[in-house]
Amino acid sequence: MADGRMPDSNPFVEVATHLFLEDLAAKVGVAGLNNYLVGLAKHLAVSMPEEEYADWPELLAALREGQSILATFEDVRPVTDRCMATARSPFERGWREYAKRVGAFSRVHREAAELYNAKVRRTAVTSLHIVLHTFRDAASARIRVGGKGIRTEPLATVWVDGERSFPPPEQLAPLLERAGISKTKLGMLLRNHAEVWILEPA
Amino acid sequence: MLDVALASLIEDMIDKAGAEGVVEFWQRVGDNLASRMGKEGYVGWTSFNVAVREGRTAFSIEGEVTPLTDMAITDVDGDIVGYLYAMRQCCYIPTIVRTRYSVGQMSPADTAVAEEYNATTHDIAVCNFCVFHDRFREEIAKNVTVSGNTLQCYLLATKGWRGDTKISSNNLGKINIDEGHVRALLRNYECVYALVMRGAHLKGEL
Repeated sequence: MADGRMPDSNPFVEVATHLFLEDLAAKVGVAGLNNYLVGLAKHLAVSMPEEEYADWPELLAALREGQSILATFEDVRPVTDRCMATARSPFERGWREYAKRVGAFSRVHREAAELYNAKVRRTAVTSLHIVLHTFRDAASARIRVGGKGIRTEPLATVWVDGERSFPPPEQLAPLLERAGISKTKLGMLLRNHAEVWILEPA
Repeated sequence: MLDVALASLIEDMIDKAGAEGVVEFWQRVGDNLASRMGKEGYVGWTSFNVAVREGRTAFSIEGEVTPLTDMAITDVDGDIVGYLYAMRQCCYIPTIVRTRYSVGQMSPADTAVAEEYNATTHDIAVCNFCVFHDRFREEIAKNVTVSGNTLQCYLLATKGWRGDTKISSNNLGKINIDEGHVRALLRNYECVYALVMRGAHLKGEL
């Protein structure tokens, strides 16, 4: 907290939340869990204060310093004006603790991601990415830059075990152009980042 | 971020199933997690307490646990049948702090679940998470053996984010520990519990 960044969570709370979600999935099914996670992320974003910035450089500075709503749970590194990279997944500590203490991650988290990829967009590896990507969408809607809205779009996701998820090739090329990076640069970023995403005026 | 989102999840659950539904849900999750933790065996209290100190037991998933080896629990023959254990920090405090600095303040749902649990099950919860890990500890104790005996867990005292304390006089009575001793521990610890060999004939029991 000395530098104003968020303190780490106790991974036990995250492990318990994973179990909570697994129990929920057993009751409402994978589709129900999917809807639940989307609602959860939106609710979380809406409960956080709105933001306004005079211009784009001020927003990028806030992201670098961890002061924006979009940097609350992610260590955001702007690569270009429009391309953002997240060094570590906010779910990594919880997942590691789960793997260490409980065992293999429940299959239901993958199933929820597969449903989300099929129905919404192909960027999730586990259920937790549904929360993160939906949160980013909803949180960006609460930010004004120079009086105008902004939006986000996931470009690529890498899970803790190295599994990657991209949009299909026909969608990836225009996304890379909007981000201002090449496919090679994306590959370089994915070596040591968990998420690469676009942030742009709405 | 899941931990901060959890408060929203609890709020939504209360709308759908009421605070009593959330208590049941948390208890079931405690059972599920405990059942997935596997069994452990220790040759005696010394080896178990070393394992606790080194973070090797199922109890260690909650965070850093201190075995209070100066506070042994003895049976009618004077043999040691258990010890007190304590956590300097409640495992939910980081989430409360993170919620404070992201959302602004904790949801009232947190208190609603704790109050429901206190009124209906065990008057010991200072936050909604106590409901889960009170049950979780009870269940994992059944999977741990010391000298061949399974354990029983008694949650004795908790200290909340705002300094409020809860002491379980019922559980203190079961293990014959003085309330003043536990209250003194709360100056330094936020969660105190006892692990005792299941079926031990404790002093003071009829």
